[in-house]
Parts: sequence; C-alpha cells; structure tokens
Amino acid sequence: MRVVIELRSTPAIRSALRAAQTITPEEALSGRLVTAGLVLDRTFAPVALPGVRLAAEEDGRMLAMGAPLDFSDEPTTLVRGVIPDDDAQHGVFAAATADPAVLGVFADPAIEHCLTCGGDPAVGTADDVARLLATERLHGAGLTGEGVNLAIVDSGINVAYLKDRGRDAKVDAARSWTPAGVTSKPGMHAVDHGTMCAFDAGIAAPAATFLDHAVLLSTQSGPTVMAGLLSDAVRSFAKLREVLDGLPASRRALVVSNSWGMFDPRWDFPVGHPGNYSNNPRHPFNVSVASLEAAGADILFAAGNCGRDCPDGRCNFERLPICGANSHGRVICVAGIDTNGERVGYSSQGPGRLEAAKPDLSAYTHFTGSEVFAPGPDSGTSAACPVLAGVVAAVRTQYPANRLSPLALRSLLSKTARDLGTSGFDYDHGWGAVDTAALMSALEGVPARG
Amino acid sequence: MAGVMMTVELDPGAADLAAAAERLGVAAKELDSEFGVVAIDPDNHLYTVMVDEQVCVAAARRDGVSGPYSNPRIEPYGPPRAG
Repeated sequence: MRVVIELRSTPAIRSALRAAQTITPEEALSGRLVTAGLVLDRTFAPVALPGVRLAAEEDGRMLAMGAPLDFSDEPTTLVRGVIPDDDAQHGVFAAATADPAVLGVFADPAIEHCLTCGGDPAVGTADDVARLLATERLHGAGLTGEGVNLAIVDSGINVAYLKDRGRDAKVDAARSWTPAGVTSKPGMHAVDHGTMCAFDAGIAAPAATFLDHAVLLSTQSGPTVMAGLLSDAVRSFAKLREVLDGLPASRRALVVSNSWGMFDPRWDFPVGHPGNYSNNPRHPFNVSVASLEAAGADILFAAGNCGRDCPDGRCNFERLPICGANSHGRVICVAGIDTNGERVGYSSQGPGRLEAAKPDLSAYTHFTGSEVFAPGPDSGTSAACPVLAGVVAAVRTQYPANRLSPLALRSLLSKTARDLGTSGFDYDHGWGAVDTAALMSALEGVPARG
Repeated sequence: MAGVMMTVELDPGAADLAAAAERLGVAAKELDSEFGVVAIDPDNHLYTVMVDEQVCVAAARRDGVSGPYSNPRIEPYGPPRAG
C-alpha cells in the first residue's frame, strides 16, 4: 500500500526546507520504519507541510471539520513510500507509534483524470478543432465541401447568425424540408441546436451547401407512446432520396448529419415487438436509412449522451443506449472526445443494438465554437457528429460516391483513425479519432473526380 | 393524427393514398393525408403511411403489408442536461 508519512522536522531539516535546499528522504526519516517494512520512495523529495497546533478536545477528536486550525511556525516533513499489505503492515504502524519523530502514516490513494461532463467549461475552441482536423491541409488540397450537399437534419439553421460569426454559409432552400405547421423558412429558423451543428460542420467543410431539414421543429405530438417525431425523419429522408436521385453520378455526394435520437425506450414498442424501432432493422426509418445509404449517401448519427460516466438526465436506458438508426450498420456512429483526445464522460458507449460494433469513430466536441449555447460550449455528441460530417463533406468535394462508395469511405475512415483507448476497436471510441492527415494520404490511391 | 406507421408494397407508378388504402383494406380517410405515402425504399417499392392504431390490426395481416411500427419521440443530443 502506498503511504505518505508525516515526520517532525529536526532543526537541520527545518533550516534546509526554509532555504529551499534539497534533502533526501533518508535524511528526513529515522531507520525504524524502514526496518519494520517501509520501502522508501527515493524519487519523492520530502515536502514541508505547515505544522498544525492541535487544540485538545473533550471527545478526543483530532481534526473536527470546521474547528479552527492553529498553524505553528514549525513545519513538518512528508515522505512517501510503500508498506506491506499483509500482516507485516502492523509492524510498520507499531514502529510508527513508537517513534516520537513520526506524526502519522496516511494512505496515498491514486488519483485519476476526471472526464469532461455536461456543465463543465469548454475544452479548447473551434480553432483547436480545425488544427486537429488539419483543415489547412484539407482546404489547401481543395477539399472544402464545395458542391457537396450537407444535410443537417435537426432543429433548423439560421444563416444570419452564422454570417455574423464569419461563416459564409449557404442553404439550398429547394432541397431543404420543413415540417407542416412550422412557419419559419429554411436558413431562417430560430438560432438553436441546428445552427450549432451547421457551424460545427463548417469547420472542415466551409464551402458545403447546407440542406436544412428541420425535423426537430415538428409540432407533432399525441397521447400515446407511438406519436412523436420519427415519422418526420422518415419524410425528411424520403426527400433526401429524391435529392440524391436527382444528382448526376459525377457529382453524387450527399452527407447527412443527425445529432438526435431516442432517450427513453418507453417511447418505443418493447424489444421483441415486431413494431419496435430500437432493435428492428425492418422499422420503416431503419429501412429508409439503408436505402438512402445504398443509393450513395454518407449518413452520420451521433452516438448519444448516455455514457456511463455522466449521462444526460433524460437517459433512461438500463443498457445499450446506442439504438435504432444511431446503431445502424450503414451509418457512421460518432462518439465524442474533447480537444485533449479524451472521451467525454457522457458519450454513449457500445455495443450498438442493430450493429454491435458501435460507435464507429470519435470526433471533437465540448469546445467554444458557435456560442449558440454561450456561455456553454458546443457540446454533446451533437457537436461531434457534424464535425465529422464536415470532414466527410470535404472529402466528397473530389471523391463522389461513384468513385468512393459510402462503405469504402467508412472503411478508410476507420483504417486511418488514430487509435484511442484499448488497442484497436473499443466500445468507448470505436476505431479512434478521425485523422484527416492519414485519411488524405490514403485517398491518394483513389481516383478523384475528373 | 396520432398514429403508427405501416409499410406497404406499392407500384411506384401508383403510390398514392388510394392505392395504399386499398392495399391495407381500409378507407382512404383512415390514412393520415398530411403524412401521405412516403417512399422508404423505392428500389424495392416500399412505402410508409400513417394510420390510427385501431385500424392497423386487421391491415397488418394483408399481403404486402407490415406493421404497425412505433413512432417514438426523438430529441437532440446536446448540450447534455443535468440528471
């Protein structure tokens, strides 16, 4: 067991500590503890601690919380070491008790990095994300998203807000979709989640053309669990299929970013019911996802915010939160990492329900970006998904689906990812962090659009 | 209309509410006209309509029909909310 030992300082040691001179652990420690079984850590230079003059208390408590502390001008010394875990440990404590120079033997527990969770301040900025995505190299090679349709299936985009933040965003209104009953128009919806997603997609693909599919603005509601918004996503995807079918093969590129999903399995038919969505590839929306991908679209879904470490308060999954289309075998399921490369604690972990090997890849989130939710960062796996969608759209500038199928691109992304966590695929990070530099090197063998 | 989704196999040249209703064995007014007939897999002639839960029981047994399928609420994945 790792321990720290507090010792009374001799006059010589106190003098040396005041003068910031180096003393060795052996100089600080008497030999009795070593004889009893303490293994001194010689790499840990003794530390001066302020000596606390303890007031005697009637009940014998030493350091009651809230009690005033009187710091004497006689510093004590802290050294570090290891004591046995077995019965021999008693000998060390007996020697410590008998040694007037020893004030105490305390546990030295391991401490670990805390994962970024909801409510935590931003880790990095959009410029950091751009640097990590090597956007200078991407854009220098002409991979900007120019001519690529990038659908943000979300709560709507506000172009004026993006322009105010230096983004020359463009929305193709004719290819966009708005649910019935919503009065705002494509590109002019209220500033909210969808605008954040568009901003984050624009980090890698500043020249992409947004298709604004404001599915999450739907006013559909109903008294039963079967009434909701997934049907609007069905309509959105049908519209996207029409868009894709209308593109010439040489420019067939449609990237679809989806930062939404189901938080509660009670909103669905139960697993095993033929009408279930979460686990059922025959559900109409899962069928439409497969169909759209087969036609040549790159479809990305956020993994979700139900990670075990600090899940979103709305999460009500006992297990397997990556479900429905978010877990589809033909989509890229995106986990969230911060700009330090650490998984954010709320990023949902696999396995997935439709396809076990989920998430597929990790991308950046929890950074200061759009400031839609200022003072909070662009966060959730909601931000990670469009960040990666932007990379995909950038690639599609010169590599349309007839040159590089969605399956082939997913494979390249996975093979070139920077491995995180355990070696190879894992349920926290998928195949790892998107690595655009490695991806670009791998693309050199793929014929570009002529 | 609060409802559930049914998948029907239709001729792409006649994928309208009347054809879907006939396939389901219901009156056209039983289908959500605002939702309409939505292509989910046009290559395989598959379409989705929205119907009231009460009418789907008999309809589900017909050839070229499957369902009912859930229509769950979906929400955005960020920023994470406190528990």
